[in-house]
Amino acid sequence: MTASVNVPLNSRGKLAASLPAEQLAEITALFEFRRTGYSLDAPFYTDRSIFNIDMEAIFGQHWIFAASTAELPEPGDYVTVDYGPYSLIVLRNDDGGVNVLHNVCRHRGARVLTEAAGSTGNLVCGYHSWTYSPEGNLIHASAPGETKFDKSCFGLKRAHGREVAGLIFVCLADEPPADFDETAKIFEPYLAPHDLSKTKVAYQQNIIEEGNWKLVMENNRECYHCDGHPELACSLFPTWGLTEGLIPAHLEEVWDRNKQAEASLEERCRRYGLPYEVVEQLDTRIAGIRISREPLDGEGESFSADGRRLSKKLLGDLPDFRLGRCSMHLQPNSWFHFLGDHVITFGVFPINEHQSLVRTTWLVADDAVEGVDYDLEKLTYTWKQTNLQDKAFVELCQQGAGSPAYEPGPYMKSEYQVEAFINWYVQRVQEHLA
Amino acid sequence: MIELLTETAIQEPQRIRGLEMPWNRVMGSPETPARAARALGPWHPQEFMAECVETVPEAGAMMTFVFRRCDGAPLAFRAGQYVNVAFPVNGEDQEPVDRSYSLSSSPTQPWTFSITVKCDPTGLVSPWVHENVRPGTILEMLGPVGAFHLPDADRRARYLLLAAGAGITPVMSMVRTIHSLPGHADVVVLYHGSDAGGFAFHRELAYIASVDSRFKVHYSLGDRSVPERWEGLRGRLTAAMLEEVAPDANGRQVYACGPEGYLNTATELLQKVGVDDTSIYMEFFSGDRQTLLEYQAEVALATDIAEEIAEEIADSAEDYFEGQPAAFGLYEPGYDADGTLEASGLPLEISDPEAPGSDPAVDSPGMEPEAGSPDASSFDTVGTGSLTMSFMRTGINVRIDPTEHILEVAQRAGVRIGANCKEGMCGSCKVVKLSGEVEMNHQGGIRAREISAGKFLPCCSTAQTDLVIDA
Repeated sequence: MTASVNVPLNSRGKLAASLPAEQLAEITALFEFRRTGYSLDAPFYTDRSIFNIDMEAIFGQHWIFAASTAELPEPGDYVTVDYGPYSLIVLRNDDGGVNVLHNVCRHRGARVLTEAAGSTGNLVCGYHSWTYSPEGNLIHASAPGETKFDKSCFGLKRAHGREVAGLIFVCLADEPPADFDETAKIFEPYLAPHDLSKTKVAYQQNIIEEGNWKLVMENNRECYHCDGHPELACSLFPTWGLTEGLIPAHLEEVWDRNKQAEASLEERCRRYGLPYEVVEQLDTRIAGIRISREPLDGEGESFSADGRRLSKKLLGDLPDFRLGRCSMHLQPNSWFHFLGDHVITFGVFPINEHQSLVRTTWLVADDAVEGVDYDLEKLTYTWKQTNLQDKAFVELCQQGAGSPAYEPGPYMKSEYQVEAFINWYVQRVQEHLA
Repeated sequence: MIELLTETAIQEPQRIRGLEMPWNRVMGSPETPARAARALGPWHPQEFMAECVETVPEAGAMMTFVFRRCDGAPLAFRAGQYVNVAFPVNGEDQEPVDRSYSLSSSPTQPWTFSITVKCDPTGLVSPWVHENVRPGTILEMLGPVGAFHLPDADRRARYLLLAAGAGITPVMSMVRTIHSLPGHADVVVLYHGSDAGGFAFHRELAYIASVDSRFKVHYSLGDRSVPERWEGLRGRLTAAMLEEVAPDANGRQVYACGPEGYLNTATELLQKVGVDDTSIYMEFFSGDRQTLLEYQAEVALATDIAEEIAEEIADSAEDYFEGQPAAFGLYEPGYDADGTLEASGLPLEISDPEAPGSDPAVDSPGMEPEAGSPDASSFDTVGTGSLTMSFMRTGINVRIDPTEHILEVAQRAGVRIGANCKEGMCGSCKVVKLSGEVEMNHQGGIRAREISAGKFLPCCSTAQTDLVIDA
């Protein structure tokens, strides 16, 4: 579903859009002389002007993961998504589609919906009760004595929204990047068997990490640090990201086990017709993606200490619990794990240059009953712990980036996906600034 | 039989998603005609008399006895359950001997039912049954009994049915039931027998497997004599055999029935191939003292329940059938966490992934004024009009005519209800109606779910009856 932009974004009255020429030249140079294979210079993580450029060039231009359909299953259900200066309303409309509206009242600019999620009929601004239809049209504003007030000129601004395989994406650009269609074609067949439309939210966690959004993403794109995730290491092979010849001695046994699990998973995938091959186009396309289905350690079913299922209800029409994890990375702000028994979505929403909201959502089959089919504590334990550990890692890096002693360091071979993320980011910003 | 050669591939049938027992909707329906069919829903054991109407010899020294209830009622049960039968083995004037037998017929054909009895020449009862029970024989029965049965609704009906010897009886009931129902299912049957000629129901199983693509049936001969022409599996149950017949056993619900040794082996092997404990259901056809005691307790409990129900029916049949019985733990469908027997139906959907889902809206019942809340009869009454609105928080009764808008009248009487558009758009005047009927003419300010939860917009509503309002 694609929403049309009914009010063109107006550049009048915007001060931040143009930096002083000198500063812009400085920033452009930082991008230009970025040392390939090395982490970014400190201002990328600490400077407000670069953050503003990120908001404009990355979050203002690309498809951003906003929520899953399980978060707004019924007409009138909505979530609000905030990043940088933006606040969007993502609303399930009566036709089953998704409306994306700027959460800015056209009267005096108040936030129209103040809750993170909920259900509404029309949208009423709490300030002067301007009332908008779910499509964003202004349908009521008390106007005693006004004669020239034309309601049709003051609808909520709209942005693009689309839903693929149960994931909802938004885009603020007038003309969104067209290659998202191709990316959607890549991941749709991997996700479809998990049938996200028949899931429900078991738990959602919002954490604010004291770190630049790029550090959050970088941290997620490698498992070099996975020794720091003891709970996750029970089920996720810590050899993730390594290839033959890069295996340290202490991981050789794990590597062999991984290889066996991989062979057995491939056999299962072939039997059920599930795609599992690695597709890796992280920086070779605008809507960058990596997706694959990979084995889990232990019983190979889920993110538990012994690898056994955490919810007893299989998702969709999946025939088997031992399906490892189908993992997807999407540029710029999301990653996902699709398992036989549950799904975890991760969205990163930048707040400012040194803070980011990380939203983690656990989905289970919509007929799974808490306490009967799953234990919420057990379901969420591994990734709750892992997220806290990751938060600490990200914050250590943010602190470092603020130190005069910081200088970019080399990404290791196993961190090639971090490099791909940074390369993608640098390219996209440069294209935008050009 | 004439073999018809055909070159044309026939497409698979289109089915609704999941499996649902026909009584499900009957039990949950508020509609009177549907409620009339409630006797078809399996909700308690009863004591009844049944007349044998047919005997069918089966392979493996088994005999099927088909019965109908003497009172003409259908026998309501779940596929997999059993009946306890009193056999006058020592003559009509002596104390009868009770035995439990699994029902082998399908509860979707409830007007007659059958048990299938294997003759154990050393036994006291089964040879007597084989020799003496004939069409016309009337026996006293108690049933249905047992927690080993198919669920009432299953969105992912993927089963592995394991049977050894006479253990095929309840499994046959399950097979017949699933075969008789539409809906997606995937059933693998693995049937162990001791000799090639001893597989009861094998012709019907072969027929079902040949016409119903949801079924795969495998036979295995134990480790004794295997004739040369045998084309089935060989040997006792092993993990390799499970992997061979159901490599996706991990994602299936497993129902297993047979002698104790067989079932113990099965438990171990199923765990080995990754089937979760909570996905394994078993019925023991022989067992240690403990197992036997458990079955005795099950039958004893069923007897108590049946007697209790009989008394209640005798007291006031009408009242009794009006209300649903309280839940009997033993007979609850395993998945039903609420402990009610009124299992909610699966949303009706076609198994076409393109088709939009249509989950039935879950209506929360309208709220009733709570006991202990203020009594509206003590409130002051103001205004004029033919109907009365009681505002429970404000503590006032306001008279209103059916033509007037509720908000206006209420506000005039001093009830504080915030409002803005007064056209049913903004929803700011939304309040909860505790009782009574209104006519509402809103413009999107309220959602169907809110309405079914008892809310309404007084700005665009008129009163149809006296009202009690939470404001």
